[in-house]
Amino acid sequence: MTTVDTTGPDLAPSAGEGRRPAPPRPTRAGRPRDPRARRARRGGLTPYALLTPALIVLALIVGWPLVQLVVTSFQEFGRAQVFGAPPAWVWFENYADVLTDPVFHGVLVRSLAFAAACVVTTMLFGTLVALMMTRLTKFFRMLLSIGMLLAWAMPALTATVVWGWMFDTAYGVVNHVLVNWFGLAEYFQHSWLIDPLSFFLVAGLIIVWGAVPFVAFTLYAGLTQVPDEVLEAAQLDGAGGVARFRLIVFPYLKPIFLIVTILQIIWDLRVFTQIFALQDIGGIRALTSTLGVYIYQTSIAGGDFGHGGAIAVITAILLMSISIFYIRHLAKEEEL
Amino acid sequence: MRKLGIAALGAAAALTLAGCASGGEAAPEEGAEIRVWLVGTDTPDAAREYLVETFEEEHPGSTLVIEEQSWDGLVDRLTTSLSGSDSPDVVEVGNTQASAFTSAGAFLDLTEYYDELGGDDLLPGFVEAGSYDGRFYAAPLYSGSRLVFYKKDALAAAGLSVPTTLDEYIANGEALAAANPGKSGIWWPGQDWYNALPYIWENGGEVAVPDGDQWDAQLSSPDSVAGLEQVQQVMTTASRAPKDANETSPEVGFCDGTTLQLSAPSWVKWSILAPADAEAPGCPDQEENLGVYALPGIDGGAAQVFAGGSNVGVSAKSAHPELAVDALKIILSDGFQTIYGENGLVPAKLSLADTLGADEVAQAIAAAAGNAKLTPASPKWADVEAAGILQDLFVEIAQGGDVQALAEAADEEIEAILNS
Repeated sequence: MTTVDTTGPDLAPSAGEGRRPAPPRPTRAGRPRDPRARRARRGGLTPYALLTPALIVLALIVGWPLVQLVVTSFQEFGRAQVFGAPPAWVWFENYADVLTDPVFHGVLVRSLAFAAACVVTTMLFGTLVALMMTRLTKFFRMLLSIGMLLAWAMPALTATVVWGWMFDTAYGVVNHVLVNWFGLAEYFQHSWLIDPLSFFLVAGLIIVWGAVPFVAFTLYAGLTQVPDEVLEAAQLDGAGGVARFRLIVFPYLKPIFLIVTILQIIWDLRVFTQIFALQDIGGIRALTSTLGVYIYQTSIAGGDFGHGGAIAVITAILLMSISIFYIRHLAKEEEL
Repeated sequence: MRKLGIAALGAAAALTLAGCASGGEAAPEEGAEIRVWLVGTDTPDAAREYLVETFEEEHPGSTLVIEEQSWDGLVDRLTTSLSGSDSPDVVEVGNTQASAFTSAGAFLDLTEYYDELGGDDLLPGFVEAGSYDGRFYAAPLYSGSRLVFYKKDALAAAGLSVPTTLDEYIANGEALAAANPGKSGIWWPGQDWYNALPYIWENGGEVAVPDGDQWDAQLSSPDSVAGLEQVQQVMTTASRAPKDANETSPEVGFCDGTTLQLSAPSWVKWSILAPADAEAPGCPDQEENLGVYALPGIDGGAAQVFAGGSNVGVSAKSAHPELAVDALKIILSDGFQTIYGENGLVPAKLSLADTLGADEVAQAIAAAAGNAKLTPASPKWADVEAAGILQDLFVEIAQGGDVQALAEAADEEIEAILNS
């Protein structure tokens, strides 16, 4: 059982709430079993009846396209097939081609490394902002919340175009400020996107900027549920800020940290808009494509839906295994 | 927890797969709406109004809507929208991209309307681009070659005159850049590969040539490499444009004075001379100072430039094919095509060539069009364009990379696509 399980997506406030009566136990040993674990036994068919509508919708809008995708990935499916020509079955040929393609290996490694960097940075800044929010006065917390809400609400494409303008080679404000205010003449007409590393720096900046608000809000909601008296007691016992976070706050919020991290991993691994739009502004496509963009380039732009489908299926399996690994990891820890 | 994780995965998959869904057929009714996709800002407003008004006059109760698309990512968008149930009815497509769709059965067979649409009066190269397997699928829309626009005062101040050979053109560009630090003697952003084609062709090179039923990419041949090295020379010494930018909005640099010369499609003249308060502002005060000539060839005369332009077809999935064909007839009527001619685009019909007039631009267009050339005639060429191989190649050339090695790598990628 987990507390998140019983509360669904509204995980932030209830994660702490469920445990409020129990004192924090960083060692986890000897924790009494939650009485709610037994609740699933009761209710008969009602839970399943309640689940049915959602399952039907999922099967229709997710399941069917997914089946189509898998079918396509076993076929030679080009633009002619899109317009009605019968496809030929090639079974695992597409997969063999993709898995032995060095270009795909490059894309995969690039995506994993980029996603890892983005997730770590996002979680770090998100946590710091959430902690800061607990210390701010109401006015500044409001101001910060509104600012973050605007960033979170900004469509990714709009954000990328605006950031792209700021980093524009000839007319961008970043180069202008660096040259005219800081006297760094080497940034005159500096191209931020032409070097892959610098490209990913800009892309990462846009992605982290857009993702921090979600992490910060979710964690802040969780932080408000950490009982003050426990923190106060720890403080009286001489625990510093870092120790309090490590030994009290983090264990309290662990489920939230986990689910947010998984969501970030999924979002950052399949990132599309920011990379796609930036590639149009500048940079070299072959050196900056990530999984999402590569699937698009192969399938829709290149008209090779068979190979594109195979890459998409491999990506989906990858994402699922990462998620399942984390979910099991969590489930195991909860059982102890 | 698990449920939530799976739901999150589901949402992820749904977002990844968005765009593959298909809906139901719309029933054709009276008062139909015909959707016409025109690409870019090339087609003048007068022509758009003419099309809408004429169509709605001839078909009371029906409406015609023009939806403007961007050139960027057009092949992708056409692939998804033409195969869907809410397909636009009439679509413009770049002439080098047309065969990707004619060969796939995306367009309605227009063979029976060939004579009615203009017959042998239609631009032959474009009819060829719009035909597949002996059937006629996409009619010519207009043609427009690239011309060189320049600031008369800058050329005069540097003591230069309009060049007569390609070498002179390059030397002029370098001289202008040297005399005006920070400004482009020839503005050339790295992603703009269309402009590189004349250099390859003028040096005797090719992009790819047919070899039996295969294609042999030729960018790394000695002749092509000689051309590519000239490209690199211009990009590194004459151009101050960003090495990795695309070629959109050339009027910005021209109007703020940082671009002294550039090679661009003929309609860019109207972008440059657009009113200063327009959505995409130009600089009408530069009209007197704006000169134009056809890119000179290596031995004088006009260079072999890329024959740009568009074809226009009717979607095979159009809900109202008769109405769509009627709209196409208006597009190819003398009235509509004359507006193209008057605005510096070569009309789809040979008989309307004189609508271009006799000014400087018209002469340059005529000179350029007389020696224009196309990209490899393979249905897969559109995929090479969409994969961005040439954009990547020239961005790396602009940075001063090793031309021979880069060309060899690009050849390999082009062959992989053309021969797949």
